[in-house]
Amino acid sequence: MPNVPVDRAGASLDRAARLAERLEQARAGDRDALDEVVRDLNPLLWHVARAQGLDAEEAADVVQTTWLELVRGLHTIRSPSALTAWLVTTTRRESWRVRGLAQRQTPHDAARLESSPDPEPGPADLLLSEERDRALWRHVARLPQRCRALLRIVAHVDRPDYTAVAEALGMPRGSIGPTRGRCLAKLREMLAADSTWSPT
Amino acid sequence: MTTPHSSDQPLDDLDQVILDQLASVLAQLDPPPPDLDDRVRLVLALDDVDREVARLREEQLVGAVRGTERTRTLTFDAESRTVMITIVDRPDGLVRIDGWLAPGAAVRVELRYPAPDPPQTVESDASGRFVLDGVPHGLAQVVVHPARGEHAPQVVTPALAL
Repeated sequence: MPNVPVDRAGASLDRAARLAERLEQARAGDRDALDEVVRDLNPLLWHVARAQGLDAEEAADVVQTTWLELVRGLHTIRSPSALTAWLVTTTRRESWRVRGLAQRQTPHDAARLESSPDPEPGPADLLLSEERDRALWRHVARLPQRCRALLRIVAHVDRPDYTAVAEALGMPRGSIGPTRGRCLAKLREMLAADSTWSPT
Repeated sequence: MTTPHSSDQPLDDLDQVILDQLASVLAQLDPPPPDLDDRVRLVLALDDVDREVARLREEQLVGAVRGTERTRTLTFDAESRTVMITIVDRPDGLVRIDGWLAPGAAVRVELRYPAPDPPQTVESDASGRFVLDGVPHGLAQVVVHPARGEHAPQVVTPALAL
């Protein structure tokens, strides 16, 4: 069994508890608490927007719009899980709206799909200095598009929120958390067979 | 019998390690823009009044047409108005913004900056045209106020990296 930190689940719970506290303060009008919630969840929302095929500028706009919408609806959101699911849902909806507008502008935009956010293997090899990371990315690139989109998002979600986020993404029940789900199982199987990858 | 990699096994620590590694790889390959948190902070700092968010419809880079000048045109749509702005890089390192509102109206247009810088304000003409000149590079947000006596929401754009 590989050597993994034992306090991982504990750290995740601490993070959830802190987020719950900040959410409560943000709802009471505390701007600093809201800033912290934003910093904490921005990477997730960024990847949700990018996984919908938006370019960098569009994705940055969608993330902002999502937070503006949240501030209006903040009083209705009670728990960090609900917050994460709400933000993911809103980011996806906003992304579709932006993508729909862009596609109406350029109906024959095949290049747009080609340049969808998953970077090509070539540049990835140059950007990733660790052998382990290159191996991981090589296997991720072999997964179906749907799996890549799911894992890209789930990698930025806290464990207690997996189920809520999978539902917000319209993924089938059990696609991630409490069980591993097919996408992660497939990736793990490929990694286990690759001697250039290691968990540490 | 199930294998250690079976999809219906509960998530374990190794799964979490794989997901954490993936997050770290993505942080290297496709990180959010470094100013994303600041952009969100700028738009959230606006007083919570009745407002409508204009969404980016189109961005056109006209390119370096004259010497080092770079020109970008951005179009934002809200329900009540469309805001189009052309951002021209001046040779002196500042920026000029030529704006146009549709439907056109003489209204107050504000360019907000991150705190503590005060906003810059101009009036559009009756056809909805406005100019903001000598604007510094950096983050800013356009706020279009309703006409005097008009019962309409403010229209705000997302934060822009000028």
